[in-house]
Amino acid sequence: MNTQTIQCDALVVGGGIGGLTSALELADQGYQVAVVEREASIGGVMIALSKVFPTLDCASCITTPRMAAAAHHPNIEILTCTEVKSITRDGRLFAANLMKKPRYVDEKLCIGCRQCEYVCPVDVPHEFEGGLGARKAIYVPFATAIPQKAVLDAENCMLCGSCEKVCPSQAVDYFQRPEEIKVQAKSVVLATGFQLLPKDSKKEYSPPGSLNILSALQMERLLSPHGPYGRVIRPSDGKVPDSIAYVQCAGSRDKSLGIPYCSRVCCMYAIKQAMLLSGALPLADVTIYYMDIRAFGKGYEEFYENAKAMGIQFVKAKVARIAEDEEHNLNVRVELMEEDGRVEERAHDLVVLSLGMVPGCNPEEFVPVMRDDDGFVKCASPKTAPALTDQPGILVAGTAAGPKDIVDTIAKAGAAAMEAANYMRGLELDLSAVTEAVTGEEERAAERAAS
Amino acid sequence: MPEEVQTNDQPENREAKEPQIGVYICHCGGNISDVVDVQTVAEEVKKIPAVKVARTNMFMCSDPGQEMILEDLEKESLDGVVVASCSPKLHELTFRNALKRGNHNPYLYEHANIREQVSWAHHGDPAGATNKAIRLIAAAVAKAVRLEPLKPIRVEAFPHAVVIGGGVSGLTAARKLSKQGLGVTLIEKSPYLGGQTAQLNQVYPTEEKAEDLLRMLVEEVVDDSNIKIYTGAEVVAATGTIGDFVVRVRNVPGDTSAKGIGLIEKKVVFRPFQGCTVRSDRPCSPGDELEVRCGVVIIATGFKHYEPRSGEYSYGESPRVITLPDLIKLLSPDGPTGGRLEIQGHPVRDVALIHCVGSRQVDGIHEPQPDGRVNSYCSRVCCTATLQAANEIKDRFPHVNVYEFYRDIRAYGRGHEDYYEKASGKGVLFFRYTPDSPPLVEKTGPNASRPLKVRVRDTLTFGEDLEAPVDLVVLSVGMMPNDISDLVDVFKLPVGTDRFLQEVHPKLRPVEMAVNGLLLAGTSQGPRDITESCASAAAAASKAAIALGKGYVELEPFVAQVDPARCDGCGLCLNECSYEGALRLTDIEIEGKVERKALVNAPLCMGCGSCAAVCPHRAINVSGWTLDQFDSMVDAIAAQ
Ligand SMILES: Cc1cc2nc3c(=O)[nH]c(=O)nc-3n(C[C@H](O)[C@H](O)[C@H](O)COP(=O)(O)OP(=O)(O)OC[C@H]3O[C@@H](n4cnc5c(N)ncnc54)[C@H](O)[C@@H]3O)c2cc1C
Ligand SMILES: Cc1cc2nc3c(=O)[nH]c(=O)nc-3n(C[C@H](O)[C@H](O)[C@H](O)COP(=O)(O)OP(=O)(O)OC[C@H]3O[C@@H](n4cnc5c(N)ncnc54)[C@H](O)[C@@H]3O)c2cc1C
Repeated sequence: MNTQTIQCDALVVGGGIGGLTSALELADQGYQVAVVEREASIGGVMIALSKVFPTLDCASCITTPRMAAAAHHPNIEILTCTEVKSITRDGRLFAANLMKKPRYVDEKLCIGCRQCEYVCPVDVPHEFEGGLGARKAIYVPFATAIPQKAVLDAENCMLCGSCEKVCPSQAVDYFQRPEEIKVQAKSVVLATGFQLLPKDSKKEYSPPGSLNILSALQMERLLSPHGPYGRVIRPSDGKVPDSIAYVQCAGSRDKSLGIPYCSRVCCMYAIKQAMLLSGALPLADVTIYYMDIRAFGKGYEEFYENAKAMGIQFVKAKVARIAEDEEHNLNVRVELMEEDGRVEERAHDLVVLSLGMVPGCNPEEFVPVMRDDDGFVKCASPKTAPALTDQPGILVAGTAAGPKDIVDTIAKAGAAAMEAANYMRGLELDLSAVTEAVTGEEERAAERAAS
Repeated sequence: MPEEVQTNDQPENREAKEPQIGVYICHCGGNISDVVDVQTVAEEVKKIPAVKVARTNMFMCSDPGQEMILEDLEKESLDGVVVASCSPKLHELTFRNALKRGNHNPYLYEHANIREQVSWAHHGDPAGATNKAIRLIAAAVAKAVRLEPLKPIRVEAFPHAVVIGGGVSGLTAARKLSKQGLGVTLIEKSPYLGGQTAQLNQVYPTEEKAEDLLRMLVEEVVDDSNIKIYTGAEVVAATGTIGDFVVRVRNVPGDTSAKGIGLIEKKVVFRPFQGCTVRSDRPCSPGDELEVRCGVVIIATGFKHYEPRSGEYSYGESPRVITLPDLIKLLSPDGPTGGRLEIQGHPVRDVALIHCVGSRQVDGIHEPQPDGRVNSYCSRVCCTATLQAANEIKDRFPHVNVYEFYRDIRAYGRGHEDYYEKASGKGVLFFRYTPDSPPLVEKTGPNASRPLKVRVRDTLTFGEDLEAPVDLVVLSVGMMPNDISDLVDVFKLPVGTDRFLQEVHPKLRPVEMAVNGLLLAGTSQGPRDITESCASAAAAASKAAIALGKGYVELEPFVAQVDPARCDGCGLCLNECSYEGALRLTDIEIEGKVERKALVNAPLCMGCGSCAAVCPHRAINVSGWTLDQFDSMVDAIAAQ
């Protein structure tokens, strides 16, 4: 196995908007940064969103510049398709073992022309599109991916050899092996983000064989101008939905799933999606079944008020069960929490689950930091220094320390960068203090010798 | 202040050969191409003689898009680039940076906005939109032909920061910066450090004592030799730009308790419900002033509580109607009753907590503030703070009945939901109201068991009218920004419709303001808790460290330039200039003759162009936006 060694000031784990922001802040301060991302592109969840609340900026428009800025920064090195095996303290430094998974495409040779994609005969559901669209077994992850390099999915590849033949730069390499990378860093920023709870976590909401119950992230893709279908239609039959329901707290504030906490962004993204749907499908009814609407951020309450004014229905209710019939129409059993508290069956064409946020990975598996009861990284001084973990020199940014929206992720990522810089500055001062002490000692020894 | 006037390099003679321009038209993933026929646009634009290449791409801002431009610059030896995409606010800088990366002058770039100004504005008229896109691009090409390479203006960055406001946010920002070896001056208007946090007892969700948190922060700041603290002081004037501001600080007039300007001795005393005070060893007389030179200014001036109107939920009419901050004091061992829950000398038996007082207000229902606007925003901390108080009452006084009147419970943060769960478990009763039928607080008759009652139409029980007899009503008042209109004037700070300070971009750039070198920390920007305040303060410190760390900052070269040959020293431009020190008249010697001419001080010029507009001789031009360039753009639009 090849082993490469990288020396840097800060190692950032996770290349979502949180990790990239920390990396850029540190790099702009003059520190050398390595960013490790396990996927084939940086960008995290944000690059897959349609538009963002409350500004309704298109997500790729505001994410790509930051991705590009990080990728081109002279002080930042980005490692994609790379996993962290371990991070341990090594004297005053951290030693990290990384594993670069084979892309089966030579990153240096690939020019991102996508010829391989056009000839590949294999169609597989596209993860980036929430499984709704298809991709090839060799593919550039998505239009705005960074790096723009193909990746071959060995599990689905038939080894037909077409891609290798067509590749104009001889980049396809079926024999690529995992590569070991060793990193020496002075500080570590954990920005490992979040995942949505799987759609089938709550069996009341996942009838077998259902096609028209979507996760909120799948809906983000449907709403993207360049999404899998190019418009919003039902996956089962391509019908344009007339009636769409949102089920809030589907796996948040729910002890039965072990997720007692609030996921903090679902109210807002549901409202956002509802507004976008009203724009895309002016005739459709959109209903949001909720417990409390938590529109707490700057400009969020006003956003919520706008949504109500647009005619989006907000119904305070608990959803007991969702059923899907043979025509794939949905029946949602709701217990109204207002009016007379009755239980109703309501018909909808499409249901979106506002699924809770759970940690993007378990960092305990590779780094000695503590997690809190909620599974996210524990903050050592949650009030006054929220980016500190229980380990000096290891900081936490973004949603790795609990659910957050983009702006809070970015603020926290800036804070993590500042703490990392403070820590590294402390190391330097310690070092010069040590040198001074040593020279002092030597001088005294010399004096003693002289007298 | 650097006196030297920086001019850009003499432009090379670009007229010699007709410049070759590359035009790049973005689909914006359909945002543009669903309306504008980008292929036709490219074909039409290609017909303009100066256009060497015209290409389209799904996302010009993506890496392949940028690489395409860089490749063409080399292969086609382009002299200028036009990208037609979204608003320049989003991506002008992206493309300039791409040019820079490829070792090309980033100012040989022009941006055409065909999304906000075309596809989004005319989505019902694809043909018209396509035509408009062509015209706008033609104009941009006309300008690009006349662009000259420019150099950014370099200003030495003075390695010192001024932080205004000594609450948790200001303290945090100051300390983080000092740890990077930068000097900091902390200016606090009140005699005390700690801000509103000093008014708290225990803080959610950790239940740490506010006093302990503050003492730790303040001690660190006070012991820090890089940080100078001035309490009882305020900023009265400021000049300069990023890298080199001069801030004038003065003793707060009339505040006798103020310690005055003076570097402070190291002893920290915490006084509950006031803050941390530190003895000044150098008292000075009111009106004393000093000047601080700094490279950046961080504004951390915090919030004040919404003050209910007299009669709002009987506030001011009954002494039994108090605010949440009052309740926090009442429950504290340092409070007026030593922590006993008593009102008017009697133990409280039933308490009503009313949420959203002064927050989430609705036009037409709530009375507006003096500026005519209601507080339509959510104050973010009150739900959890109220639940925390309800829990404390239930824990310490289990027999007291607690009723909460709410609209939505927004216990969003880590550990917040627990308070809600526990309150329900401990028997706190929740009633939900809508803004158009809020709870009514009324005095009861002489025979009633309790002096007050709260009536509400509870939406959770069939919209039934319910009544709760109580002896204490607590109003969960929202947050409003402190009145900093003086600072807003001094620094020309951008303010949002919610009256809080406004960041550059609400998603991506939360701690920067539109004025370069001014940064935001904590609740001066909007409601948030201590965790969030400290995170934003540290993030602001990081931005400050970036600005000051290199020793210099680079400013955009879009500043006014005077052509001395045309200037006759009439001074009309001076009257128009609103940036102190940016423009002056001076005598210069030209061929032995002394003549009066206008002179620009580039770092202070904001490039607004007012001077250029009034100059009768076209002697002033804003670099990158010259009159000739504008003329050519207008001609190009009209020519089509
Ligand atoms: C449906 C939906 C809609 C949303 N809409 C909005 C919106 O409109 N506005 C808004 O403000 N917010 C919105 N959000 C929230 C927003 O997505 C998050 O705030 C943001 O993505 C968090 O960024 P992050 O960097 O912390 O995490 P992530 O985006 O999750 O990034 C983490 C990165 O780390 C990588 N990673 C994880 N573990 C490892 C490891 N061990 N080694 C290497 N790499 C690793 C991941 O692959 C990922 O790339 C929405 C969320 C959802 C689910
Ligand atoms: C009822 C209530 C309960 C709360 N409970 C909690 C809790 O339990 N946990 C939690 O995390 N958060 C809580 N909060 C939120 C917390 O109080 C704030 O997040 C925090 O105080 C914000 O700190 P700050 O530094 O931004 O502002 P502030 O604390 O307001 O400090 C601003 C400082 O700036 C000074 N200043 C103002 N104008 C000027 C000027 N022109 N020049 C110089 N100085 C100036 C002020 O005097 C003040 O010292 C609560 C808030 C409320 C309203």
